[in-house]
Amino acid sequence: MLGMVAQRLGWAVFTMVIIALAVFLGLEAMPGDACTVHLGRGASDAALATCRARLNLSDPALYRFFTWAQHLLTEFDLGNSVQRGKPITEIVSWRLRNTIILAGTATALGVPLAIVLGVLTGIYRDSVLDVSVSAFSMFLMTIPEFISGTLLIFIFAIGLGWTSGIVTLSYKAPFWDMMVVSFLPAVTLSFILVAHIARMTRASMIEAMQSDFVLMARLKNVPRRQIIWRHALPNALLPTISVIGLTVAWLLGGVVIVESVFNYPGLGRLAVNAVSDQDLPLVQAIALLFGAIYTLVNLSADLLSITLNPKLRGQRQ
Amino acid sequence: MINVSFHKCSCALALSLALVAPSFALAEKVLRRANDLSYGGSESLDPLSPSRFYEATDLIYNRLIRPTADGGTAPELALTWVPNETAMEWTLTLRSGVRFHDGSDFEAADVKYSLERINDPALESPVASVLGIISSVDVIDPLTVKINLSAPHAGLPLLLYDYRVRMIPNGSGDMIASSGIGTGPFMLESFDAESMTQLVANPNYWDGAPKLDRISFTAIADQEARNQAMLAGQLDLNSLSRDQEPFYKDNPAFTLQNFPVGDWFGIAFLSDEGALTDPRVRKALRIAVDRQEMMNLLAGAGNAELTCDNPVKKSDPFRADISCPQDITGAKALLAEAGYPDGIDIELYTSDLEPGMLQFSEVYQQQVAKAGIRIDLKVAPADGYWDNVWFYKNAMTSWGERPADQWLNEVYRTGADWNESHYANPAFDALLDEARSTLDQARARDLYVKAQEMLFEEGSTFIPYQENGRRVMSSKVTGIAPVGEDFIDWHLVDMAK
Repeated sequence: MLGMVAQRLGWAVFTMVIIALAVFLGLEAMPGDACTVHLGRGASDAALATCRARLNLSDPALYRFFTWAQHLLTEFDLGNSVQRGKPITEIVSWRLRNTIILAGTATALGVPLAIVLGVLTGIYRDSVLDVSVSAFSMFLMTIPEFISGTLLIFIFAIGLGWTSGIVTLSYKAPFWDMMVVSFLPAVTLSFILVAHIARMTRASMIEAMQSDFVLMARLKNVPRRQIIWRHALPNALLPTISVIGLTVAWLLGGVVIVESVFNYPGLGRLAVNAVSDQDLPLVQAIALLFGAIYTLVNLSADLLSITLNPKLRGQRQ
Repeated sequence: MINVSFHKCSCALALSLALVAPSFALAEKVLRRANDLSYGGSESLDPLSPSRFYEATDLIYNRLIRPTADGGTAPELALTWVPNETAMEWTLTLRSGVRFHDGSDFEAADVKYSLERINDPALESPVASVLGIISSVDVIDPLTVKINLSAPHAGLPLLLYDYRVRMIPNGSGDMIASSGIGTGPFMLESFDAESMTQLVANPNYWDGAPKLDRISFTAIADQEARNQAMLAGQLDLNSLSRDQEPFYKDNPAFTLQNFPVGDWFGIAFLSDEGALTDPRVRKALRIAVDRQEMMNLLAGAGNAELTCDNPVKKSDPFRADISCPQDITGAKALLAEAGYPDGIDIELYTSDLEPGMLQFSEVYQQQVAKAGIRIDLKVAPADGYWDNVWFYKNAMTSWGERPADQWLNEVYRTGADWNESHYANPAFDALLDEARSTLDQARARDLYVKAQEMLFEEGSTFIPYQENGRRVMSSKVTGIAPVGEDFIDWHLVDMAK
């Protein structure tokens, strides 16, 4: 068990190194450098020289990568944003919190709903309930976030006036305020989340209900309710956990769009702005951070599956 | 603060409503605007900075001289401006009793500092290309300054009203980017370009205390998101694109405004390349167009002012009135004369850079085809367009308004930094020099008009019309006339309760 956890952790660290290197090399391969990109056409030689000195751009690329990694590991310092002239750690940390609030709300809304729907459609397979819920979730899955988000704003903010449409709060707003305004964007995000997870849960629920142990339980005349919740569901949930992990990590992509639509001050919107401002060090930091979150969420899902699954738990490496 | 009522809807919707509500319930008169983050969070309150936060600096600082909507000048912090007989020196008397937001008096030394700072090489201000001719400023007494120029300029007041030339306290250059101390109708309360910037009324404003209590700017980078916020009543004032207009039309909660500005799309043909070195070919490329039809198609009738390749806007007192109906026969004749009886092939670069740009080049292509001009349209990526395509190819271009003298000198003078069509004509340059040293305004007008006519005859830039600006406001907002941002008297703007 411990060996397995260590192995997974090792892989996670290795993945992170590869991501960091890929992001760094990708940006290196672009024409020009952070300073020519930032200062643009009208840049004087003097301004370019000052900017390059500030960012140590005259050092060799590999050396810069290692100093950057060293600063990151020893001081948790991601360097400075060219455009904003502030430390990236400071810019990113508030946005990271906000994105976690948003993704957290979306997960808290979406996952339980998805599981309940998945179980119900699985048990009442091919019933009217199953067909309509499945069709509806397929429908939600196919609507892009920028359409569902805009529609929600039109209905709930502009039409009914129940909520505020666009987030106008500061990125430093208190936790609870942020939580409240994250509701509509979180609903938008959870559309796709619900559809994916519900479909997965349904499939594994159907499989579990057809398994030998459920048949055995039935033969032993165990009450149906108990069969579903005590025997079938825990088994059906195991494969679902890794799907939840993947879907939650996949939310990050949706976050970029949803945050732009709602003007939500999170990492996704920052990423869009950083790219359009061509603030390369910031883009690099955000890409790395997204990579880290992705890795971390998947790692947790893996570890959770291992803990919950007696078969995996018992395996010796 | 929280007054939650759960009777209607027990979900978080009611909760969020209750929590958002307090920001609307303030008794203060607040005008809520958006900051479009066009400088990506590096917005500076230094009016001379390349990344100035214009919407805010316009409210915080004053100019010496302000422009009027009819193209004239009006006193702001300067009351009078008088040139010497060579137009090399200008003496300005200043308004007395004006105070900066920190309580200090506005005096001649502040003017000297604010103007001389323009040419500080460390600042790299884009304004240096406009007012580089200021060699020094002398303080005569606390309310009089003398501006010394390195070349005569009879139109200096028109340059001084540039929206970036604002008065800041003497010696404040190092802090001004964040301190925002000026003499304007609104004072900086808090500044965070990436979230919220708050300005409060300056009760001691020299032209009377503002009627609003506060103006706020919320950072919303996405144009669609700004539109949504406006529709949802989270903003009170916003600029508008043509395709967003239907959202607000016939809705009593909003007021729409449409006003002439001197902004335009055009095509800059390179006058020093191939067939285009012949002025007859350049003219043919321009007169083959039905400008009225092009304008109706792209801007909508009544949303633009026709112009005959003249960058100067209609209300400018120095504008030349030229007529330029479509002339297919004339264009064909010119081409034949120049040695192209079977028509001509021209490469034109365009891009999806700004809304409408691509369509503009396509309509142009269709229209000139009738005169045997075959446009080979090349769509360049928006990214890097201004760096790699524009100025080096026949390309779509886009400009914001400026006064006649500035247009002609910055964009058409031989060798000027922004001379996108590489137009070079010593006779044209001589006209501009003469106009600048002519103090008799009627005579100066003749010279500027001649220069514009010269551009129509042999210039290399095609400009069919100047499109109007648009804004949408909450119908509660009063005191904003349908004029460009530059001409609004912000201290007179008010909001109904």
